[in-house]
Amino acid sequence: MMNAPDDIAISVKDLTVGYGDNVILQNVNFQVRRGEVFVILGESGSGKSTLLKAMIGLYPPLSGEVWIEGGNLVAAQGKERLALLRKFGVMYQSGALFGSITVLENVRLPLDEFSDLPDPLKELAALARLKLVGLGAAADKMPAELSGGMQKRAAIARAMTLDPRILFLDEPSAGLDPITSAGIDLLITSLHHFGFTFVIVSHELPSIYSIADRVVMLGSGAKGIIAEGKPAELRDGAADPWVRRFFNRQPDPGHSVKPS
Amino acid sequence: MTIATQNELETDVEVRPDGQARVVLRGRLNSQTVVGCWGILEKELLETKVATLHVDVSGLGLCDAAGLILLLYLNMGRMTPQATVSVLGLKADLEKIFRDLTSEDDETFHPQPAIKRDSFVGKIGRKVRQMNRDFQGEMVFLGAIIASLPLSIFHPKRSRWTETRRIVELAGANAVPIISLMSLLLGFIIAFESARRLAEFGAQLYVANTIMVVMVRDMGPLMTAILLAGRSGSSFAAEIGTMKVNEELNALKTFGLDPIPFLVVPRILAGVFVTPLLTFYSILMGVIGGVIVMLGLGFTLPLILHQLASSVHLNDLGAGISKSAVFGVIVSAVGCWHGLRTQQGPSAVGLSTTRAVVTSLLLIIVADAFFSAISFLLK
Repeated sequence: MMNAPDDIAISVKDLTVGYGDNVILQNVNFQVRRGEVFVILGESGSGKSTLLKAMIGLYPPLSGEVWIEGGNLVAAQGKERLALLRKFGVMYQSGALFGSITVLENVRLPLDEFSDLPDPLKELAALARLKLVGLGAAADKMPAELSGGMQKRAAIARAMTLDPRILFLDEPSAGLDPITSAGIDLLITSLHHFGFTFVIVSHELPSIYSIADRVVMLGSGAKGIIAEGKPAELRDGAADPWVRRFFNRQPDPGHSVKPS
Repeated sequence: MTIATQNELETDVEVRPDGQARVVLRGRLNSQTVVGCWGILEKELLETKVATLHVDVSGLGLCDAAGLILLLYLNMGRMTPQATVSVLGLKADLEKIFRDLTSEDDETFHPQPAIKRDSFVGKIGRKVRQMNRDFQGEMVFLGAIIASLPLSIFHPKRSRWTETRRIVELAGANAVPIISLMSLLLGFIIAFESARRLAEFGAQLYVANTIMVVMVRDMGPLMTAILLAGRSGSSFAAEIGTMKVNEELNALKTFGLDPIPFLVVPRILAGVFVTPLLTFYSILMGVIGGVIVMLGLGFTLPLILHQLASSVHLNDLGAGISKSAVFGVIVSAVGCWHGLRTQQGPSAVGLSTTRAVVTSLLLIIVADAFFSAISFLLK
């Protein structure tokens, strides 16, 4: 184990990710500071979700390191890896709630597996998480009975169950109406005040302007980061015109479509 | 009064005879120390009737989420049901979360009354109503198939023959290896078992008759149908069920395409075509298995073939093959029916598949018994 500087929650070093010979991201380097809302964005197919999955240990990288709270997740094995996994929670794009059990049981499941707390406290702890995301009244419902936005909120509650310091959210606003999407942003902002570090994959610009402290932008041609900084700064002053166009929602001049 | 120190947490509990209780927590209240603290509090507070409980947490250096939940539990009076509880001395940041979670306008923490369960009679009533609805649905389904079949037969250009061919290959050609193995071994088993019994009467030659009659009239059609139910009926249910879950069936309907002629009819036609062929093949392989055993017992091939030929009539073969066509319809129709009835949720497709196989097996056996009875009465 190596101790990271106090304010660094995640450090990605020379990370190369791919499938077989197909390299998707090459030599990616960045750091996420403790307590910040860090957004990974980029066009479709640029490797956002792949990067996220490599950061949480689902995809073993071809080379490089991912340091989470001072531990290298890529190299960690056995109990050391389990301890590192306990330091973050993940919300998947679809919510990934277990469909055969209630929402409350979904949130309680990690406690049942990993905690020695007495049963009444486990129940209450799960309910408290649900209440925190505004889903207290939906505790006894099945996931299929919830709307898309509610499923994502329940998934965030489940990700928080074991008190991680870091939350990874994969496209939290995707496929939601603007009001629900803004509700998710508000939830992220309010949870941010509890001291969570957020790593969010998104390409919803209104959401990014509203919640992000810092962003990295991936480019599919570059196989890595093409811009890094605060969203407003990149919108107004990015060196790469493509990045400026992205943040200003301007179409690529070379790809204009004219009605015939 | 109990003072206990464990893992950096000091728990001080004082319960007076007049019902006044005081809990003082000092140190670190986290997921490790909460477990021990819970045990102490449960032991001290549940023993006496507590009227007022004061929880002093001003001495806590750290209180994590698990600690906060313990305080919440105490504050809700779950451990001291009749007591007035106050939690004092929380740090400002935790105090806000704590108060948010305990706001009285939210009914989250008050469990809903359990749903009243049905009485025994109620359960029967519900089941009968369900069976009635199912029966109506099955009749509508059967009607829709019957209505769609003439279209396929009289307007072959409008039928989906490519899809039918694909299913014939999946359900038929791809099933040949497993049918070969199963039928050959079935032939072995029947021959060995009957040879031992018939030897007692010096009638081992009649092993050929046994194999032929059993394979042609019953085991060939039955085992082929059972295998198809497990292999293809389940696959029809899973395939159509997944299409329903993914809203592909809705997409068909909005194009104005009826799922019955589009998905069900090709599968039924494939089932009717494939099952008799596989049955004939199964009979052949079963007989070959039996012949191999008989050759091993010392009989000559011409003698065995003569005995085989004299044991059944063409009518028997016709009966076996005809009922296999009916089994084919059963397997295909039941698989498709359960696929179309798939509900939402991740376990729905699995449930449909199981129901398809179980229902197919049941109906195959019932139909076989029916055919046996008819055949007996006609003779």
